[in-house]
Amino acid sequence: MLTITDVHKRFGDVVALNGAGFSVERGRILGFLGPNGAGKTTMMRVIFDLVHPDGGEVTWNGSPVDAEARLGFGYMPEERGLYPKMKVGSQLVHFARLSGLSHSDARRAVDHWLGVLGIDDRADAKLEELSHGNQQRAQLAAALAPSPELLVLDEPFAGLDPIGVDSLSETLRELSSDGVTIVFSSHQLDLVEDVCQEVAIINEGRVVLDGNLAQIKAQSTRRRLTTDVDGRPWIPDLPDIEVVSNHGQVHCVVSEDAPVADILAAAEAAGRVTRFAFEPPHLTDLFREAVQS
Amino acid sequence: MTPWTQVWLLSKREFVERGRSKPFLVIMAIIAVAIIAVGPVTNALSGGEPEATTVGLVGTELPGIEDELRTQGDLFEIEIDVVRFAATDAAENALEDGDADVVLADGNRVVFHDDTSVRLTALIQRSVDTVVTESTLEGLGLSESEIEAVQNPVQVSVATIEETDPQEDAKRGAAFVGAIVLYISIIMFGSFVATGTVEEKQNRVVEVVLSRVRSWQVLVGKVAGIGLLGLLQLAILLGAGYTSAQLAGLTDIDVAAIGLPIIAGVFFWFILGYVFYAFLYAAVGSTVSRQEDLQGAIMLPIVLIVPGYLLAIAAAENPDGLLPRIGSLLPMWAPFVMPVRTAAGVAALWEIAVAVIGSTVGAIALVWIGSRVYRGALLRTGTKVKVTDAWRAAAE
Repeated sequence: MLTITDVHKRFGDVVALNGAGFSVERGRILGFLGPNGAGKTTMMRVIFDLVHPDGGEVTWNGSPVDAEARLGFGYMPEERGLYPKMKVGSQLVHFARLSGLSHSDARRAVDHWLGVLGIDDRADAKLEELSHGNQQRAQLAAALAPSPELLVLDEPFAGLDPIGVDSLSETLRELSSDGVTIVFSSHQLDLVEDVCQEVAIINEGRVVLDGNLAQIKAQSTRRRLTTDVDGRPWIPDLPDIEVVSNHGQVHCVVSEDAPVADILAAAEAAGRVTRFAFEPPHLTDLFREAVQS
Repeated sequence: MTPWTQVWLLSKREFVERGRSKPFLVIMAIIAVAIIAVGPVTNALSGGEPEATTVGLVGTELPGIEDELRTQGDLFEIEIDVVRFAATDAAENALEDGDADVVLADGNRVVFHDDTSVRLTALIQRSVDTVVTESTLEGLGLSESEIEAVQNPVQVSVATIEETDPQEDAKRGAAFVGAIVLYISIIMFGSFVATGTVEEKQNRVVEVVLSRVRSWQVLVGKVAGIGLLGLLQLAILLGAGYTSAQLAGLTDIDVAAIGLPIIAGVFFWFILGYVFYAFLYAAVGSTVSRQEDLQGAIMLPIVLIVPGYLLAIAAAENPDGLLPRIGSLLPMWAPFVMPVRTAAGVAALWEIAVAVIGSTVGAIALVWIGSRVYRGALLRTGTKVKVTDAWRAAAE
């Protein structure tokens, strides 16, 4: 289990982390969310001591994380980077060996992951000769080859085509069912909702919401209300209402005790109701609420 | 997995990847071939032996003059060839064409083409004196020993008050070559450290590396791997130079006795000088994020290295001069200057001790300073990082 407690980090006058923390149980996938500049990347760097925190603690299975423990972690930074002129296979073996694998274990692990990710035919090519997507796969293989217990991925889905997104989601699920703990950041909230059991939302250096996604939804006092009248979005006249317009899709977020029957009646009075949904909030709604408050 | 195993893996990568890069191999092969070629080519151009001086004889010939010219030639250390001309015209033409260097006409006139030579004139004058006096004395009925006593009444002896080392020039020359090799090697491999550091920042691979190892391991691995490559190149270049010297046919010079101590000295001082400058190169390299910005940043080590090189040249000319002496004692220049002065045999033991200790302490200080700047600057990308900011950031 990864536990991050009360981490503070200041860069000059900029406060990047201000008492941030979350925890993930073994074998769970946590989506780490937040607006740009909220402190996601700094937080991930803290796990690997790439950024040394001013205060706070990172523990793995109850013990403070040290260099030895970190070798059991895999990391894919947001700024992708490998050696462009080195052969893909040999540089992945190099990185796996740096993580503590023997030469033969490293070789085997690299072959395995290049195969799983579908780039085993490019093992002897230089990295710079690979397409952008394949370089991304090689980057992932570098994080995966040491068979980490904890995998930290900064924006792993950025730049992937829909098929790449599907196959990465599938890979993450399989790893998690094998007991690998995964933390990844993303701006694609529907994807996070699809893949993660846990979420942590960070804003201005503090984690403003975290926990099991299903529980958070269940405990939320907000509801998503979508009403279309005559095929067009229809907004009820309610006091505590938030209207969200997203790519032409319009829905409202209302309190859980909103008068559903009255709203439906009002909608029917306005015309023919073509759509009416009153449901738990989606992750985007929770995110917006957490970040705005 | 111990930290040092990781350092070894990192240095192995540096050594292998840089060592098999084509530009590096090509440059190295060209330099090695050029060095090997220098010896035999110089040998061929100089023709091996100095050219003989041709003395032409025309008109009435003194008996025995040819033998006497040769005898005097041995004393004057000039090899003499003698040719005879039937007429003054022919002799003058030979002077004109360079077929003769000087002509003795009728045993009493010395003719040059344009420039006269005091040595050749004296040589011919003495030859003429000797044969004429000899025949006069013979005519007076003197015996051979009496003639010899008149001709050479006193044989002066020659001595110097200071003993000179006949191989001194060769020693200085070899030390000079050693200094150039040191200079090139430290600049070249120091730059490799700086370039490698910037490459890792520019390619962002540094974050992938640093998630596995500490920054000091990256730095030490890089300096060690590139340094080992430097030692390998030194071995090849010095081996080539040694081979070249042997191929040059330097018969009167003991190549092994002069060359081997200098080679050992160059290796020793390369290690100290390289460590000193490699950590400086790494520190300045880590402050920039793009190769384009590197040129400006590496001016600092270059500005420090160039005076060392100039002092080494000065030391080859005059190993006991004031500036070379001072330079050979200062940590940043000792690696270039001290090997030259040691090879020339003028460095006192205490001076060598001061140079070695100073450079070692200086290198250790730069390992510390360089590592700290490197650690503070490594993850900062974008604009150039100020050294002072990197220094402070490393404390955070």
